[in-house]
Amino acid sequence: MSDWITFALPKGRIMHDSMELFGRIGITCPEMEEGNSRKLVFENPSSRYRFIAVRATDVPTYVEYGCADLGVVGKDTLLEQGKDLYEPLDLKFGYCRLVVAEPKELRQTDDPANWSNIRVATKYPNITERYFAAKGIQVEIIKLYGSIELSPLVGLSERIVDLVSTGATLRDNGMVEVETIAEVTSRLIVNRASLKTKHARIARIIEGLEKVVGETPVISV
Amino acid sequence: MTFHDAVSDTMLPKGVKDFLPVKAAKVEFLDRTLHQVFSQWAFRPILPPALEYLHVLEKGLGEGLREKTFRFDDRQSGKLVAFSPDITPQVARIVATRMREVPLPLRLCYTGRVLRHTEQQVGKDREIFQAGVELIGLQSPEADAEMIAMAVECLKAIGAREFTIDIGQVEFFRGIMDGLPLSDLLARQVQTAIARKDLSGLQALLADTAIEPAARQEVLALPRLFGGREVLQRAAEVVTNERSRRALENLGRVLEILEVYQVEEHITFDLGELRGLDYHTGLIFQGFIPGVGRAVCSGGRYDDLTARYGYPAPATGFAFNLLNLLFALDKELDAVAGQSSDLLIVQTGVDKQPAQRLARALRQRGYAVARDIISRELPETLAYAQKMNFRHVLINGEHDGEIRLIRLADGAERRLAFPDVLSPDFVL
Repeated sequence: MSDWITFALPKGRIMHDSMELFGRIGITCPEMEEGNSRKLVFENPSSRYRFIAVRATDVPTYVEYGCADLGVVGKDTLLEQGKDLYEPLDLKFGYCRLVVAEPKELRQTDDPANWSNIRVATKYPNITERYFAAKGIQVEIIKLYGSIELSPLVGLSERIVDLVSTGATLRDNGMVEVETIAEVTSRLIVNRASLKTKHARIARIIEGLEKVVGETPVISV
Repeated sequence: MTFHDAVSDTMLPKGVKDFLPVKAAKVEFLDRTLHQVFSQWAFRPILPPALEYLHVLEKGLGEGLREKTFRFDDRQSGKLVAFSPDITPQVARIVATRMREVPLPLRLCYTGRVLRHTEQQVGKDREIFQAGVELIGLQSPEADAEMIAMAVECLKAIGAREFTIDIGQVEFFRGIMDGLPLSDLLARQVQTAIARKDLSGLQALLADTAIEPAARQEVLALPRLFGGREVLQRAAEVVTNERSRRALENLGRVLEILEVYQVEEHITFDLGELRGLDYHTGLIFQGFIPGVGRAVCSGGRYDDLTARYGYPAPATGFAFNLLNLLFALDKELDAVAGQSSDLLIVQTGVDKQPAQRLARALRQRGYAVARDIISRELPETLAYAQKMNFRHVLINGEHDGEIRLIRLADGAERRLAFPDVLSPDFVL
């Protein structure tokens, strides 16, 4: 089993982008292209690659525990979870920004320099805590699992910390960005033991991807 | 959904475990086998205490472990005491204070449980089972090589087929970082990026700094300096500073010795590996088994540790994490860690003495023997014996005066006279 290389990939768009990138260094999976959307494990027995489709937030867990040797996941998830992993490569796709946002009306009178004891709704409690703590601001964090931009509309919190790509969702809900916490792209992550015990194959994958990522022009949306 | 309150009445704190016989036998096997190897290399056991004064222990603990120490008030002395989170500083203290008259080098080994606070909810162990060695009084590459060769032998002895010993050198890293114009905060961020092999993050951190191009190249090379022995060559092409070059020479000499010990097939290098920087001063290494994300053993050189207790001596050592080994080799250990006992003896009737005599005689011959002291029907006894992993059941005192010996694996039955079993020719 140990001469296989297993990738954990988030279902959906990132999985598609990842496979397109992997294809350029000869890592393919014909089984995945058959389009069986219920399948979670795909194999390419001839080149000994396995791909598991998981939730984006679970990718670091599968890789940390060694169920997958490599994974692709957003920097936001890595920052939030702080797992013990290697992240050797920025794959440059999936660009987003992690921002603090608030309603447009509030923004007109609000001065971030006066923030103190603010209430923030987010999917990212750890990042939010660290970000505001570094600025010396106490926050009451409300952890939500989705539709964060709803929170100020119904008075759950004044502000939110969330991921934005185009900003359309924020605009549609009458919100504006106040501060950028981090720029986010997808990262290649590697299990610590896998890097040591399968170093020849994994080093080849990292080098190959580094080369093709370097050739790709970066498109920010 | 209902949770029974009874469960919470007897539950354990997070991060500690009970080991029932099946697992305990495996842990015990690992410990015994490792100590056989330790003693073949002429290491002698030492037993440090579980409890120490915090201020004494802290002298030998690095930043990372200091915060993870379980500490509390000692009513007798009014001082703080602590459960040791690491045995190496304890050995350093013992050597420096109690054994300084003993001629060097010292070869010492230990097994112990240490306690460390870990972040809750991650399900990590707070109690860590360690078995390790310390080699004190030697500076030479041969001593570093001895540790690695021993680690390889240990892993083979416990039945690991595939594994890697990954070697780093903290002096190589320190040589590169030495004298860089970085603030403390930035230096820490750079170190974190290197430890995570985050090359793009590292590039971003260095972008606005006034580092010379050559030094910048050295730092940026660190996340990619891992792999086979060719790493040493690649590193030599990048670094120009004297300290890092000396570290590379040291690694080269260690590798030559490892070739003599014929363990080089298991060796990889990672010069960007910074774990254990706390008290390590030279070559460091970690052992990995495929499929397990955590190292099964780790160690390295610590030339300044005994000096903190007033007795400067170069030293190196390493320890296995027995629970990580157990996790990595659980299936392989089924075959080797003996779970079964040889014989369960049943005596019918009131006089139990014949069974007691049989049990004593067979134990003296080395068999693992128990008496089924409860009076019960034979099928119940057989079911019990099966469940408790006995290989045979012996029934004495049935009507015909013969002994029945049943092999549980297949139910095969032998009939023997009482003196047959006591005779020296008898084998189960």
